[in-house]
Amino acid sequence: MSAPGKKVFELFVSKIPWTLGTKEVKEYFGQFGHVRKCLLPFDKGTGFHKGFCWIGYTTEEGLHNALHKDPHVVEGSKLQVQQNMMPFTWRRMDKEAEES
Amino acid sequence: ALPLPSCHCWALRKALNPQLLNLSPCSSAWPCSGTRYYGTPAEQKVVARDEPSLGVRNKQSHQFDWALAKLDSSVRRTGRVTKSLLQRIFHDICRTGYPSGNQALLLLRSCGSLLPELPLAERTEFAHHIWGKLLELGAAYDVSHYNALLKVYLQNEFKFSPTEFLAKMEAANVQPNRVTYQRLIAAYCQVGDIEGASKVLGFMKSKDLPITEAVFNSLVTGHSRAGDMESAVNILSVMRGTGIDPGPDTYLALLVAYAEKGDMDKIKETLNQVENTDISLMDRDLMQVVFTLTVAGHQQHVPEVLEHLRHDGDAMNLCLSLITQGHESTAFMLLKTFPSVQADSQNSNGPDVGNFFLRHCVNTNKSPEELVGFCKGLMDSNLHAAPMQFTLYCALEAKKMAPAIEVMKTMKEEGLPIRPHYFWPLLAQHKRDQNTAGTLEVLKAMQELSTEPDIDTYCNYVLRTFPSVDSARTALAVLGCMWLSFVSAEVRAEAAEGNLARLFAFSYFLLVHVCTGNLVPPRPENMAYFLYHLFDGMSETEVQAKEEVLREYLQQLHKKGICIPVNIYRGIRNILDSHHVPELIKKELGGLESRVTLERKLEELKAQGSSGDSHLKCSKTIKCVCVFSQNLPRALELKAEHEDKMSPSCYALLINLCCRHDNPEEALNLKRELARMDSEATLDVNKYMSLLRVLSKHNRLEEAVDILKEMKEKDVVVKDTAVVLLFHTFSAVALRGDVAALRRLQDTTFALGLAKPTSNLCSPMVTMYLEKGDFAGALEAVMECETQYHQLPRIHDVLCGIVKKGDTELLQKAMDFVSQQRGEMTVLYDLFFAFLQTGRYREARKIIETPGLRAKPGRLQWYAEKCIGSNQMEALETMVDLTAKLFECDRDEMYHYLLCLCKDTNDWSKAEAVWTKMQEENVIPRERTLRLLADIFKTNNQEVPFEVPEVKQPSSVTAFSSVAYAVLYTSRSSAGLRGLGKALVPACYDALIKALLSSGSMEDAMAVKDINLTLTRKNRKMLKENALASLKTMLQMDQVPSQLALTRLVQGLGNHGDIKGIQEVASLIKSLSPSLNMSSMLFVNNMALAHIKNGDLERALEDLESLYTQTADHSQQSIAFVFRKVVEAHNDEAFDKLRTMAERLCHQFASYKPATDLFLQCLDTGRVEEARQLLQVASLRQRLRPFSISRGAAQTCRNLLELIPDFAEKELVYAYMMKSMDKNLEAAKALYRRMQAEGLQMNELSLKRLAQLYKKAGEPVPFEEPPETFKFYADKLKASTLPSPEDD
Repeated sequence: MSAPGKKVFELFVSKIPWTLGTKEVKEYFGQFGHVRKCLLPFDKGTGFHKGFCWIGYTTEEGLHNALHKDPHVVEGSKLQVQQNMMPFTWRRMDKEAEES
Repeated sequence: ALPLPSCHCWALRKALNPQLLNLSPCSSAWPCSGTRYYGTPAEQKVVARDEPSLGVRNKQSHQFDWALAKLDSSVRRTGRVTKSLLQRIFHDICRTGYPSGNQALLLLRSCGSLLPELPLAERTEFAHHIWGKLLELGAAYDVSHYNALLKVYLQNEFKFSPTEFLAKMEAANVQPNRVTYQRLIAAYCQVGDIEGASKVLGFMKSKDLPITEAVFNSLVTGHSRAGDMESAVNILSVMRGTGIDPGPDTYLALLVAYAEKGDMDKIKETLNQVENTDISLMDRDLMQVVFTLTVAGHQQHVPEVLEHLRHDGDAMNLCLSLITQGHESTAFMLLKTFPSVQADSQNSNGPDVGNFFLRHCVNTNKSPEELVGFCKGLMDSNLHAAPMQFTLYCALEAKKMAPAIEVMKTMKEEGLPIRPHYFWPLLAQHKRDQNTAGTLEVLKAMQELSTEPDIDTYCNYVLRTFPSVDSARTALAVLGCMWLSFVSAEVRAEAAEGNLARLFAFSYFLLVHVCTGNLVPPRPENMAYFLYHLFDGMSETEVQAKEEVLREYLQQLHKKGICIPVNIYRGIRNILDSHHVPELIKKELGGLESRVTLERKLEELKAQGSSGDSHLKCSKTIKCVCVFSQNLPRALELKAEHEDKMSPSCYALLINLCCRHDNPEEALNLKRELARMDSEATLDVNKYMSLLRVLSKHNRLEEAVDILKEMKEKDVVVKDTAVVLLFHTFSAVALRGDVAALRRLQDTTFALGLAKPTSNLCSPMVTMYLEKGDFAGALEAVMECETQYHQLPRIHDVLCGIVKKGDTELLQKAMDFVSQQRGEMTVLYDLFFAFLQTGRYREARKIIETPGLRAKPGRLQWYAEKCIGSNQMEALETMVDLTAKLFECDRDEMYHYLLCLCKDTNDWSKAEAVWTKMQEENVIPRERTLRLLADIFKTNNQEVPFEVPEVKQPSSVTAFSSVAYAVLYTSRSSAGLRGLGKALVPACYDALIKALLSSGSMEDAMAVKDINLTLTRKNRKMLKENALASLKTMLQMDQVPSQLALTRLVQGLGNHGDIKGIQEVASLIKSLSPSLNMSSMLFVNNMALAHIKNGDLERALEDLESLYTQTADHSQQSIAFVFRKVVEAHNDEAFDKLRTMAERLCHQFASYKPATDLFLQCLDTGRVEEARQLLQVASLRQRLRPFSISRGAAQTCRNLLELIPDFAEKELVYAYMMKSMDKNLEAAKALYRRMQAEGLQMNELSLKRLAQLYKKAGEPVPFEEPPETFKFYADKLKASTLPSPEDD
C-alpha cells in the first residue's frame, strides 16, 4: 500500500559499504534528482547497517537518471542499483493480520 | 529473612547457564562454594520445577550435532578453528552433558596448532580445561585421547614429565601403544633429551614394536637440540641402514634444525639435496622452516626460503601464528609474497588482500601505530584499496575503542571522512551494557574528531543508555553537546518507543510544539506514526476521559492540513474503535484520512477454460490363457481361432512370447497384424526391448533400427530396467564383435534421444576391444565416445591395460586427450588409480603429490569401493597412505573404507593397526567408524579398547520400543516392520523413528512412519483410552510428544465429543506447552467441536463468543478450524448459528476476525454466495488483508477478486496467486498478462517464480529474470514490510 494515488519512483540499492551512512547515500543519489526518501536500515544491536537501502525520487526523471548510470561507484565501492519492483510500504499495523 | 549465600550463587550460575546444574555428574566437582548447599531439600524443589524435562533436553542435544560438524569441517577445510567456535562447541557439549569419546577427541585435538590465533600457553591451558571438564561430565578416555593430548603438548611445546604422564595412564588403566611411545620420544627430543628418548626407544624395541620413520625424525630433532648436528645428520644413514628411506618429514626435521641455528647455507644445501630425490616438500613444510627462522631470530633469511614457495598451500595459518607470537613484521613480509589475485572488475571493489591479517592484528591488540603502518604498507604496495576502513571495521566489530579512535585519527589526518555512524557500534555496546561512562567517552572522542552526533546517534544509541532523559541531558550538558539535535532526538525517541502517553500527559505543550513543526518537520509519516503510538499507548478510559483534548488536538492538525496515510489511519481507527469513541473517529479523525482513490479497474474473472477431457477408451480384453503356459504353438493356434476377438494387449503378450522363444519372424508378423488392426497401438517398453534384443541377435539390423524409430514416434520412455536390457542388447552385439551393427544401434538410440548416452551404455564398444587386448582400439573407442557423447567409458580399465603393457606413447596420447577434454584434475586421478591398480605405487605417489591437487571425494570413493568389492587390501591401503597430505581429504572416510574391507575379510588385527594409524595421523573417527571397529573386535571375541558410542537412541526410550528397535535393526525388512506395527502402542513410534534416523536408516524410518500414520488413522476410531494412556506414559517417561501427534489426538477427541478427554490432555500438556509451542486455540476449537458433536450447540457458541468478547487481543485467535469442520460435516444448523454469531461479533463488539475467517472459509470451500452475504452484512470489505489468504489456493483468490473487484491490495493477491500456480504455466501466463493489462507491477519474487515455470516447461523467459536467489527477494520483501524508524 504505497502512498495512495501517488506513483513511486524507487531504487533498491545493495552492496553498500559500511562506511557510507544515510547522509552520504542520499547525497550521492541526490545528483540524479530530488530524493524524497532514503531508507538505510541499521542493526541497532551491532551499530552497522545492513548493506542495502531504498531511495525514493519525487520524479520519474530522477529514477531514470539514476538507472541510466552504470556503474555506480561511491568511494571506490561499486553499488548494485536496480529499480525497486516492490514499493516500500509501512505495514506494521498489518503485521498482526499477517501472523494470525 | 536473608537469603542463604548459596542461593545467590546458585541463582547467578543458573542465570548464566541454566543447563549446567542439572547434570548430576558435574555437581560434585563444581568449583563453587555454593555447591555444598546444592542438595538441600528446599532448593531441590526449585530445581525440580525449573528443570526442563529430560525429553526436552534430549531434543536440545540433537541441535549440537551441527556444531560439531561445523568444527570438523572448519578443520578439514581451512586447517584451523577459531577460539570462539571451539569455545562455543565446548560449552554446548558441557551443557548437553554425556560427551562421547569422539566429541572429546575432536575438542582435544583442536587445541594444538589448529588454533594459530591463540598463544601456545593459552592453547595448552584450554586443552587441560577441556580434559578436566569432560572427565567430570563422564567422558571415558582411551589411548587415543592420551595420544591426542600428547600431540597437543608437542604442538604447543608444552614441557611436561613423560613419566608422570605414563603414571597417569596407568592409573586410568589405559595401555600405551606405539603412537604413545613415539610421541614420548618426540617429547624428549623436543627438549634435546636423547637419553630419555633412548630409554623409550629401548622399551619399544623390547616390546617388538616397529620403529617407524616418525621415530627417526624425532631423533634428528633431538640430536640437533642437544647441540649435536653431526649425529642429527647421521640419523639419515642409520635410517637407510634399517631399510627406511628418509621421507619429507625427515628432511623437514633437518631443515628446521638448521633454521634454529640460522645456518642458511646448510638449508640451501639440504633443499638441493631434496630436489635430487623423488621427494617433494610442500609449502607447509617450507613454512615450518620460515616459522622456525623467525622465532629463532633469523628473520633476515626468510625471504630466501620464501622464494622456494610454490603457493599451493595456505600461508594464512603461518601468518596468523607469526602474528600471535609477536612476529607480525615477518608475517607482513610473508603476506606481501601472496600471489596477487587479479581484481575482477565486474564484482570486486579493488584489491583487498590482507583482510585476515588486519583483523588478527586488531584482535591480538597490536599497537595502533603498527596497525596504521601495515595499512600504509598495504596501500603503498597496491594490495588493499581501503585498509584503514577495514581495520576500523574490525576494531569496531570487536568493540575495541582505543584502536578504533586511533585509526580514525589517522584517517582524519589522511583526509578521510569520519562519520557519526562510525561510532555507533561502540555506542551500541555501551547501550547494551547501560554504560553511561563509556557512552560519554565515545561522545567526547567524537568531539575531539569534530564529528557531530546527529539525531540518530542520540536517538538510537545515546538516550536509552541513560536511566532517564533528564539524566542524559545533565550528563551531556557537561560535555557541552549540541542542544537542538538532542532535543529533537529526545522527542523522536519517545515517539518511536511509543512512550507518548507519558509525553502527552507531562508535556502537552511540547507535543504541540512538535506537531506545529517547531522541533521536527511535520512529515506525514512521522506525524502519523506519532499519532498511532499516542493512541496505542493510551488506555480506553484515558481516551474517553481526554476525548475533548484529543478532539481539539486533531482539529488543530486538520487545520494545519496534515494528512495521514490511509493504512495508518485504519490502524488508528481500529484502536479508537476498540476504545468506543465513535464520535472522535467520524468527525475528527476522518478529516485526516488522505483520500484513497482506487481507480484501478478490474476485469471480470472469466472461468478458466475447462479442458475437454478425453475419456480413455475402454479396451476389450480377451484372456490369453495360453500365454501363461508359455506354449507358443498353442498360443498361435488360439489366436487363429479367435482372430476377431484379439485385443492389442493380447498381441503384445504374444509378441513377447515369440521373442522369448527366439522367433523374430513370427514376432514381426504379429506386430504387423497389430499395426493393421490399430495403428496407434503401442507396446510397453520392455516388450520393445525384447523385440530389439531378438532382432539384433538375429542380425536383422534394419528392423531393429525401425523398432527404435517406432519407439521414438510413440514416445516410449526407456528407463530403469529397460536401460539395463538395452545395455545387454548392446553387449550381446559387442560380444559378436560386430562393430558396425553396434555403432548403428548405439548411434540410432542416442540420436533419437531414447536413452541418455551414459558411460555404461557406451561401454560395450570399449569392452569389445579390451577383450581382444587391443588397447589402441579401446582408446580410440573411448575417444570417439567422448567426442560424441561426452562419456569416458571404462577409461580406468583402458589406462590400466596401457600401463601394464608399458606403452608410454599410447599413455601420453590418452592423457593428452582426457586432459584436453576433462581437465588436468581428471587425468591425474585417472592415472593415480591406474598406477595403484597396477601396483606402481611410486608413480602413484608422484601423481598424488602434484601441487594444487585437491581431494575429489567422489572419485576416491569410487576407487575405494572398487577395492572393497574386489578385496584389494594392498591397493586400498596404499591409496589411504598416499592421500594423507592431500588437500581437503576426509581422512576418517578413507580409514572407514579400510575398515569396511577389514570387516569383509574379518581381519581384526589389521583393523587394530588401522586404528593405531589413525591415532598416529591424528584423525578423529566418526561414530560410525568407531562402531564398525568395535564390531570387528567383537565378532572376533576381542576386547574393545575404547568406549563404543551407542546408536543414539533417545535416552529414555521405553523398553518396548528399544526391543522393537533391536528387532527392526536386525531384521531390516519392511515385512517385519509391518508385522511389528500391529503390536506397538503409538507412543513408541516417535522414538523409534528418531532412533532409526540417527543410525542413518532413512528408509526404515520412513516405513515406520507410514505404519505410524496408518495407525493414527485406524486409532482415531478406537483410540481414546489407548492414546491418552500412551500420552501419559510418554510424559512419565519424559518423552516429548510431537506437536502433530498431540494435534491429532485432540482433534480425534473433539471428533468423538470427548470433552473430558480434551480437558485431560490440556492439563497434561500445560506444563510442556511453552516448549511445544502449541496454540491454545487447539483446545478451544476442539472443545467447541466436541460440544457440537454432542448436540450442545449453545454451549459451543457461548464459549466461542466469550473468547472474542472477553479478551482484548484477538489477532491470534482463529476459529477457522471450527468453521471448516462444520462446513465439511454439512452441519447447516451449526453453520447458520456460527454465521449469526460472527455477524453479531462484528456489529456489537467490533470483532471482525471470526467473520473474516468465515468469509475465507466460504471462499475456500466455494460457497461464494454465502461469502457475498457475509461481505455485505458484516461490512468486511475494508478489513480484509491478503495476508489472510496467503495460504489460500488460486481458486480462493479468484473467488475473492470476483466478490471484491476493487480489492485494495490486488498486487499482493496476485502475488499469492502466482505462488499457488505450482506447475500451471498457462494459468501463470494468463495472470501475468492480466496484471500487465491492469497496469500492475509484479514483484520480483513472483517474476522469479514465473521465470522458473517458463524454464521448467522449457520455454524461453520473455522478460529479464530477476538475477538474485528466491531467498534474496523473499528477504527483501520481508525487509520492506518491516518499517524501521531510520527513515529521515
